[in-house]
Amino acid sequence: MMPEGSRISAEEALRLRHGSAEDQARLAARAARDAGLAGDLEEWDRQDAALRALYAPVADEPVPARLTASVTAARAAVRAPAPGIWRIAAALALLALGFLAGWSGARMLQPPGPALAETAMASFATYAVEVAHPVEVGAEDEAHLVKWLSKRLGTPIRPPDLSDEGFRLIGGRLLPGETSPAALLMYEDEMGRRLALYVTRREGGETELAFAEEPGRRAFWWIEEGLGCALVGDLPRDTLRRLAISAYHGLTDT
Amino acid sequence: MPYLDEIEAAIPGLRAFARALARDREAADDLVQDTLEAALARRAQWRGDGPLRGWLCRILLNRFRDGLRRNRPAAVALALVPDQPDPPAARKAEGRLALAEVHAAMGQLPDDQRAALLLVALEGLSLAEAASVMGCAEGTLASRLARARATLRQVTGREMVAQRHGKAGE
Repeated sequence: MMPEGSRISAEEALRLRHGSAEDQARLAARAARDAGLAGDLEEWDRQDAALRALYAPVADEPVPARLTASVTAARAAVRAPAPGIWRIAAALALLALGFLAGWSGARMLQPPGPALAETAMASFATYAVEVAHPVEVGAEDEAHLVKWLSKRLGTPIRPPDLSDEGFRLIGGRLLPGETSPAALLMYEDEMGRRLALYVTRREGGETELAFAEEPGRRAFWWIEEGLGCALVGDLPRDTLRRLAISAYHGLTDT
Repeated sequence: MPYLDEIEAAIPGLRAFARALARDREAADDLVQDTLEAALARRAQWRGDGPLRGWLCRILLNRFRDGLRRNRPAAVALALVPDQPDPPAARKAEGRLALAEVHAAMGQLPDDQRAALLLVALEGLSLAEAASVMGCAEGTLASRLARARATLRQVTGREMVAQRHGKAGE
C-alpha cells in the first residue's frame, strides 16, 4: 500500500479500478482522501458511460443473416459424424499400428510433437506481431544468419526458399529450446502476412507431417533426421501445408 | 449443442465490440463473420474451461490486426458517427460528454489503446482478463489504458477541469 499523501499513479489506480471488489473498495477509500484521484475516477466513469452509450446499442440491432448463417450451417453439420470422432478413430488406428510395429511406432504418439508445435506457435505469437523487431538478424545478412544459427544448433540449417508461394525471408532469431537452442526463421509476403519456421534438435521419433492449431495460428510440424521443425502461420490449412512441404524439402535437400 | 448456442448468443456483443474497434459497420461485420468462422472451425479445441467471449474477442482482435497489416492506407476511419446510437441511451449518459466528440477521440487512439479501453469499458472485463485477451502483460495493459484515458480526456477538452481538481487536492 502506498504511503499516505503520495499520489497514486494512473496505472495503479486503473489496476485497482478494473480489479477485484477489494481493489475497488481500496481505491474508493483512497479517493475519499484525495480530491485529484476522485476527479480522475469521475472522469473515467463518464468515459465508460459515454462508450457504452455509443457502442452498446449496436448489440440491440438485428443481426444480419450472413452472421447467423455460419452457425446455422454448423448446427446442421452436427448431424453428420463430428470431426472429433474421426480424429479419435484415426488415433486408435495409429495406436493399433504402434502396437504392431513395436514401441518405436507407438512413440510417435507421445508428447514431443505436440510440445514442439505448441512452443513453435507460442514463438510465432510473440514475434510475428512485432513491427519493429521481428528478427534479431535480418535476411540482408543471410550468410551470417545461417552460420550463426547452424553453429548454435550444432547442425547445419539452411532457410528454405518459399518465394514460389510469395513469402520471402526477413530474418531469424535464436530461442531457448529443450535439448538445444532453437532457431526461428521469419518470412513475410507482400500483404504483410508472416510465417515462422521453428527448428530445433530432436533425436528419434521421426514423424509424418502433422497439423496443430490454436486461436489465431496453425502449424504443420515434423521430426526427421535429428531436427524438429514446425511451420506456423495464420493461413488457410491447404496453403500452409503446401508451404510446409516446400520448407521440408528446402531444409533437408542438399 | 451448447457450444453453438453460446457462439450464437455472443454475436450481438461481438458486433458492438467490432463496430467500436473498426469504426465502420461493414468492416465490423466482416470481422465478426471471420471470427465466427474461425471459432466454428476450431470448435474441437474448445474445452469450455474459460470465457468463450474472451476467446472470441481474441480471435477478432487478431483478425483486425491482420486486416490492418494487409491494407494499412485504406484503414483510416472518417471522423464521423457512422451509425447513430439509440437517442434515449445517448441522452442519458451525455452529462458533460458530447458523444460525437468521444467517438472522434476514440478514432485518434492507437489501435491497441482503443482495444484495451473497449475491453474494460464496453466488454466489462477485468484488467487481468483484458491483458490475457490482448496477449500482453498486465502492466502493458494498464499503461495502454492510462494513455487512452488521458488522450480521451484531453481531446474531449476537460484536461483543464482535471488540473483544477488536482490543485484543489494538494
